[in-house]
Amino acid sequence: MAAKRKRGALAAGKAKRARSIPSAGEAVPEGGPREHSIPPPVSQGKWKNKERVLIFSSRGINFRTRHLMQDLRTLMPHSKGDTKMDRKDQLFVINEVCEMKNCNKCIFFEAKKKQDLYMWLSNTPQGPSAKFLVQNVHTLAELKMTGNCLRGSRPLLSFDPIFDRVPHYALLKELFIQIFSTPQYHPKSQPFVDHVFTFSITDERIWFRNYQIIEEDASLVEIGPRFVLNLIKIFQGSFGGPTLYENPHYQSPNMHRRLIRLSVAAKFREKQQVKEVQKIKKKGTKVLVEEDPTEVVFETPAEEKPVEIQLVKPESKPIVKDKKKLRKIQRKKQKKLFRTEG
Amino acid sequence: SDSGSDSEDSSLSDSELQEAFARGALKPGLNVVLEERPKRRNDTDGLKQCLAEFRQQLTWVERLDVTLGPVTDPVSQSASTSDAVDPENDFQREMSFYRQAQAAVLEALPRLRKLHVPTRRPDDYFAEMAKSDQQMQKIRQKLKSKQEAMERSEKAKQLRAMRKYGKKVQVEILQKRQKEKKNMLNAVKKYQKGLSDKLDFLDEEQTSSQGNKKGNASQRTKKGPNAKRRYKNQKFGFGGKKKGSKWNTKESFNDVSSFQSKVAHNKGPGKGGRGGKGGKKALNKRPGKRARQKMKNRAR
Repeated sequence: MAAKRKRGALAAGKAKRARSIPSAGEAVPEGGPREHSIPPPVSQGKWKNKERVLIFSSRGINFRTRHLMQDLRTLMPHSKGDTKMDRKDQLFVINEVCEMKNCNKCIFFEAKKKQDLYMWLSNTPQGPSAKFLVQNVHTLAELKMTGNCLRGSRPLLSFDPIFDRVPHYALLKELFIQIFSTPQYHPKSQPFVDHVFTFSITDERIWFRNYQIIEEDASLVEIGPRFVLNLIKIFQGSFGGPTLYENPHYQSPNMHRRLIRLSVAAKFREKQQVKEVQKIKKKGTKVLVEEDPTEVVFETPAEEKPVEIQLVKPESKPIVKDKKKLRKIQRKKQKKLFRTEG
Repeated sequence: SDSGSDSEDSSLSDSELQEAFARGALKPGLNVVLEERPKRRNDTDGLKQCLAEFRQQLTWVERLDVTLGPVTDPVSQSASTSDAVDPENDFQREMSFYRQAQAAVLEALPRLRKLHVPTRRPDDYFAEMAKSDQQMQKIRQKLKSKQEAMERSEKAKQLRAMRKYGKKVQVEILQKRQKEKKNMLNAVKKYQKGLSDKLDFLDEEQTSSQGNKKGNASQRTKKGPNAKRRYKNQKFGFGGKKKGSKWNTKESFNDVSSFQSKVAHNKGPGKGGRGGKGGKKALNKRPGKRARQKMKNRAR
């Protein structure tokens, strides 16, 4: 179902894109009386800032990551896509791929264990590059994100003031700006600025949000996508090189899962130990009593009886139906005697 | 002293350890060499240098970046309590991001306008959007269905409340009608008995005046039936004894106003007083049959 949707969306997207590019180029500026006149077409401006971003991934990504990649490509008209990279190849191969595609920036998604998603942001020929752990991914297609923006419109970038205070965040800020901002007069871009990317720092992580600007009084609606970046390392070179910064607050997802498992195991072990202690307490200590020699003094063993072996079946007793009858007869006899005597 | 340390690190010889112990650096007991945690690399100079090399000298129009804190909300108290947003509190966190974006927009839009970069899309400019029309339809449907569900539940709540209220009102109206009917019948009976020769009750106005409208005959009407008789008439209606008139009700049971402590404990001067005075005027002595009839006739 997801595959079908993708194909359909892509096809529609391609067809529409083909239609829209000439429209962007041929947009005729309307006459004077309108307040917000259509701006001159993009091709009239000179495209100086030649940034190209390559967005691709390794194998083993799940549907959410795939949609996130698609969304990024939709929002950034200065991006190019590429096929999935085999994980057997080393990371510096990416530099060559980027060069082949004539891109000078790269966003590379790496999925491990089909659970964890890592994102590399890099300036390809010389560096620097940064590796992040991506969490809490929500895509454009989620129905809670109600905003919409022009495809290819230029974004406004908003940063937390913390980005200016620390050198590693300052470097990251520069990287974000160069990657995410659409160059002016890019042929696939729209001349309007109608959405804003937000990069905020909370809980030692970088939170990304995308809002649509509805009114001039800054009322905003979220468009999506949204994700959280947890910085792992910053390297001086592209996909390699000496480490410039390592995040002390970063805990690898494996470690995290291990700790959870350990805590669960520890709880269980504790319960077992408590149970054992209780068992021991219940049994109690057995007091050993010494043998008292004075107790056996008065014991006289009984005489040994000769062992009698019965060979003949004993006589069976006469069955008395009425026990009292015997007594009655006896009494009658006695009376008779008494009568005769007295 | 250093019991287990001979098998430990070979880099520290015994003599060195003894010296350290003498100094007081080592404590008695089993000493284990801790592995030094690898220090997290934070090459500030390298970072700054890299940034200097990497930075591009572009005009602001190309970058469109704004670095501002969130807009301070006059309503919210979070601005006063702490700068740090609690990451677990989802609403607070998202509101802080929203306000940060708002601050950026408020700062950037005037600048863009000055640079003649358009921010508002004219209504007739149709171009491809990031989300397809189909997607937006789905979103609209979802929002509509949510709203409808809410409205339906609200309506149901209101109906329930109204039904309860309606029932209350209905009961009240019925009771009022019954009371009016009762009063009317009493007034008619009164007229029939001749106690009041006014046909005021036909006017449907219950005037409770007793002082103003007394005529000549009414000077005696006040004394007509006894207070006890009047009370019973009012409570049980006319026509004499009815079943259960001597039964207690909750109010009469809880009513202890007729309790006289002296009478109850047999200490009052009533007995002695009566005996001493010779029964001049007994308490609440009922007049005889002839006297009563006279009173009744006089009232008529």
